[in-house]
Amino acid sequence: MNLLHSPELADRLAAAYALGTLRGGARRRFEALARQSPTLRATALVWQERLAAMTELQTQEAPSANVWKRIEIALRRDAEARATKDGRSGPPARVGFWRAAALAGGFATVAAFTLAAYTGSQLTEVSAAPQIRYVAMLHDDRSAPAMLVTFDARHGTLTLKRLGPFREPSDQSLQLWALPPGAAPQSLGVVQGGTVVHLTAAEGQLRQVPALAISLEPRGGAPVGSGPTGPVLFKGAFVPTT
Amino acid sequence: MDPSNDPQLIALLDRLANPSLPLRTREQAFRTLYELTARKLYGLALRVVGNRDWAEDVLQEAYLQVWRTADSYRSTLSPPMAWLGLIVRSRALDFLRRRASERADRTVEIDGELEDSLPGDAANPMDTQQASEAAWALHECLRKLEARQREVVSLAYLRDLSHGELAAQLKLPLGTVKTWIRRGIDQLRGCMGRFA
Repeated sequence: MNLLHSPELADRLAAAYALGTLRGGARRRFEALARQSPTLRATALVWQERLAAMTELQTQEAPSANVWKRIEIALRRDAEARATKDGRSGPPARVGFWRAAALAGGFATVAAFTLAAYTGSQLTEVSAAPQIRYVAMLHDDRSAPAMLVTFDARHGTLTLKRLGPFREPSDQSLQLWALPPGAAPQSLGVVQGGTVVHLTAAEGQLRQVPALAISLEPRGGAPVGSGPTGPVLFKGAFVPTT
Repeated sequence: MDPSNDPQLIALLDRLANPSLPLRTREQAFRTLYELTARKLYGLALRVVGNRDWAEDVLQEAYLQVWRTADSYRSTLSPPMAWLGLIVRSRALDFLRRRASERADRTVEIDGELEDSLPGDAANPMDTQQASEAAWALHECLRKLEARQREVVSLAYLRDLSHGELAAQLKLPLGTVKTWIRRGIDQLRGCMGRFA
């Protein structure tokens, strides 16, 4: 049945797509069609917006006062790191700092910001003029272009655009790594979602990184701190634009 | 009439993102934003991750992201609570994924006691403060679903769960989950259309 000729079916699939229950091959087919059909794309966006309201309907509850204290500590560290960075090429601003004030239990959430891909709806595309500071073209093992990566210094955003046909199986994820010379690969985040993916990154993490690579990992990415566990699929030089 | 705090929240986001203001002023705006929204967003984080300590970690990560990306808020054209809610949900889902990959041998543990004590969402009379129009419409439409069905639809979205994962977490037969989701979607389609 041609989805584009059945508005009702298109609407039902768009709702399931936005809800997240449309999975696997059906999800990929829907995405492929939506890329070609503005109507279908708009229908999906409407449903994403409608369902996003679910986040506003939850029962309120007061968090402990510690949360704000930890945020304040993180802000202060952030400001200090920025001051150092602005001074000279200081140490890269690693952002696992708030764990300094960690409460008992839990585990290191060091990767939080490097993993901070805002995979939410496409309604949140950043539009204020980006400042592209670095760019990388990642190739597969046959030297075919597979992924374009740009770093926008203004928003601290890495944007990844898939160029090839490769799609990871649903139980696996792609993970982006910085390959600093003479040091272990550093995770820049797990690449979830569609053709274009945004990850947050601090410029300090990218300075003096000559190359990036993407590995195939279990869904959700390699264990924090472990380095890549799966095969490297794509890699390429990471070059400053100026 | 705008019954929500939207204009106030938008003004705060503008202020905390404005690099020409003194840091102190921006931090004060951030603090006020936190005070106005933390209860709601903590409730959301708690509902997604199902554990208080984890929800606090998520909340902290989310607010730090707000601090760093508030300058992109305006371009989203979203109501402020919707934008904040999406950030919290994204961070909460990342949290669950990291946790799942760190402890692949165990399924995501949801605090059983907490799960029972957490009231479902849209069954309650709505706190209209800060709620967007979209939230009101969804609230009305979810209210028309039967309670268990509403729960399945809500968790599918909030926790980004597949039919199989829902069946496992809620201890329901897969067929039941599929049926409820399909019916839930159809009922929402009928209902939400009237608000559009």
